[in-house]
Amino acid sequence: MRETYGKLLPGMNLSGLAGRLIVIEGTDGAGRSTQISLLKSWLEEQGHAVLDTGMTRSPLAGEGIRRAKEGNNLGRVTQSLFYATDFIDRLENEIAPALRAGFVVLTDRYIYSLMARAIVRGVDPAWIRSIYSVALKPDAVFYLRLGLDQLIPRVVFSRGFDYWESGMDLNPAHDMYESFCSYQHALLDEFDRLSSEFSFDTVDGSPDAQEVFSVLQSRVLDVLERSAPKAYPFKHLTQTAERLVQNIQPRIISASPQVATRDFELAFQPLAAKPPHKNGNGNGHSNGNGNAHSNGNANGSSFTLPTPDAPDAPPHDET
Amino acid sequence: MDISSHVRIGPFEVLYPVQPAGPARAHSSGSNYPGRLFIVEGIDGSGKSTQLSLLHKWLESKGYGVVFSEWNSSPLVKDTTKLGKKKKMLTPATFSLIHATDFADRTERSILPLLKAGAVVLCDRYAYTAFARDVARGMDRKWVRELYHFAVKPAVAFYFRVPLDTAIERITSSRDSLKFYEAGMDLGLSDDPVESFRMFQRRILDEYERMVPEFGLTVIDATLPVEEQQSQVRRIAKSHLDKAKQLRIRP
Repeated sequence: MRETYGKLLPGMNLSGLAGRLIVIEGTDGAGRSTQISLLKSWLEEQGHAVLDTGMTRSPLAGEGIRRAKEGNNLGRVTQSLFYATDFIDRLENEIAPALRAGFVVLTDRYIYSLMARAIVRGVDPAWIRSIYSVALKPDAVFYLRLGLDQLIPRVVFSRGFDYWESGMDLNPAHDMYESFCSYQHALLDEFDRLSSEFSFDTVDGSPDAQEVFSVLQSRVLDVLERSAPKAYPFKHLTQTAERLVQNIQPRIISASPQVATRDFELAFQPLAAKPPHKNGNGNGHSNGNGNAHSNGNANGSSFTLPTPDAPDAPPHDET
Repeated sequence: MDISSHVRIGPFEVLYPVQPAGPARAHSSGSNYPGRLFIVEGIDGSGKSTQLSLLHKWLESKGYGVVFSEWNSSPLVKDTTKLGKKKKMLTPATFSLIHATDFADRTERSILPLLKAGAVVLCDRYAYTAFARDVARGMDRKWVRELYHFAVKPAVAFYFRVPLDTAIERITSSRDSLKFYEAGMDLGLSDDPVESFRMFQRRILDEYERMVPEFGLTVIDATLPVEEQQSQVRRIAKSHLDKAKQLRIRP
C-alpha cells in the first residue's frame, strides 16, 4: 500500500492508489518541463494514461499565487504556505484520484522543491517537513541535476532574470546576477542534501534533451515494469481518462471511483500491495555534507518531529 | 548573504514550538518586543468582537497606537479563500492551509512589524481559531499546531466562554442564513444548516476547552453583562500595558 511521510489527510484512503507517481525534480532551467512533455507523449503511445501536474496549477490557489508574486511583496512564510495550499489542492483533487484510476502521474517538482525553496529562505526545516508529512511517497524521484555554471546560460540567456528565480526577495540590495548565483547555489546545496535524505535518482541534466530523455525512458520503464503488467491495454481508457482530468470541472475527486473500473482495480491490486521501491542513490552523487539532513532510508522514512537535524539554536533577532 | 543559517521569524516566543524547547534553548519571553498583542477567541455569538472593539476604543482614548487585524483579511490571500468558499472547493486540509496562509501574510507584513514598532495589536480571532475549527474538521491536532509555528504568542489571549445554546440563539436570531462552511456543511453532519451548525460548534467548543489549560487562555464569562466583561478585559489588558515601557503614544 502507498504511504505518506507520516501523517494522513482526512478522507485520504491509501489503499487502491495503484497508479505510478513519478516526480521530476530539478532547479530552474534544468529541463524538467521538456522531459515531462517527452515522457508524457511516449507513455501515452505505450498506452498509459498520464496526468501531468506541477506547481501553481491548482484551480484553488494557482491564480492567487501568480497575483501575489506580481507584487513582489510575498513574505517567506506566506509564500511557503500559499504553495502548500496549491500542492495539497492538487494532491487531493488531481494526484490521488488519478492514482486511484491507475494513471501514471508525472509531476513537475514535488514537495522537495517546495522544501528547498522554503529552507533557503530561512524558514525552519522542521516546520516545512511537518507540513509535507501528509504528502504521498512517490514511486520515483528523478532529479535532473545541473551545476550552476551550466544553469546560468540556460536560464539567463534564454529568458532573462526572473525576480523570484534570482531570489531577489532575499537579496534586494544585490544586482540580479549576483543574487541569482547565490540563490541558485544555495538551492543546489539544499537539493543535494534532500537528495540523500530522500534517495533521489539523480540524472545528469547537462547533455542535450534527447540524451537525457533516453536515460529517463529506461529508468521510468524500470518503475513501470517493477509494478505494472506489460502492455496492459490502457489505450481505450486513455482518452476517457484524459477528458476526465482536463475537462470535468471543477473537481474530479467525486468522479474517480467510477473511473476505476473493475478491470483497472484487478490489474493493479497486486502491485499496490508491494512496498514502495527504495531507489539507490543512482550515480553515486554526493555532496559530502549531506549527512546533517540524512536519515538513511529516505523513501521509507517518515517525517517525525523533532527532527534530529533541527537546529536548536535559540531564536535570534534578524535585525 | 546569510541564507544558510536557519533564521527564525523573530525574537519572540512562539505559540507552538516545533522542536520541544530543550535545556540548551534560551527562553525568550513574549514581552521581548515593545508592542503588545491582545487577541480574542470564542465561538460565533460569544460577543468577542464587541468586547474587542470596546477595548480598542479605550486604548485609543488612552493614547496608545492601536492596530486591529481581523481573521481572514489578508489582501494577498482573501480572494483565494473567497473563491474556494464560493465554489465549495475547500477540503479540511486546504481550508486549513489557506487560512494559515492568510494569517502568515498578516503576521509577516503587519502584526510582527507593528509589534516591533511598539504598537498595541488587537486580533479578532487568532491561531486558536484554526486549532479549534481545523481539528473539528478532522485535521490532526499536532499537525495544525505545528502549521502555526510562526505565530507570535499573544500577551493575553481572551477566551469568551459561552454555553452553546446561548451562542446559537444569538447567531440564528441575528442572521438570515448560515454560510456553507460556517455551518460546517462540508462535513456532512446534517442536511439542516442549523443542526449542522450546532454539531460543528459543539466540536469547536470542545477544542476551545481543551486549549484553555494547554495555552493558558484567559477565560471571560461571556454570559455576564457586557460592561462587566469589558471591565475585566480592561483590567487585565492594563496590567500588561503597565509593564510596557516603549509604547508609542499617538502624536
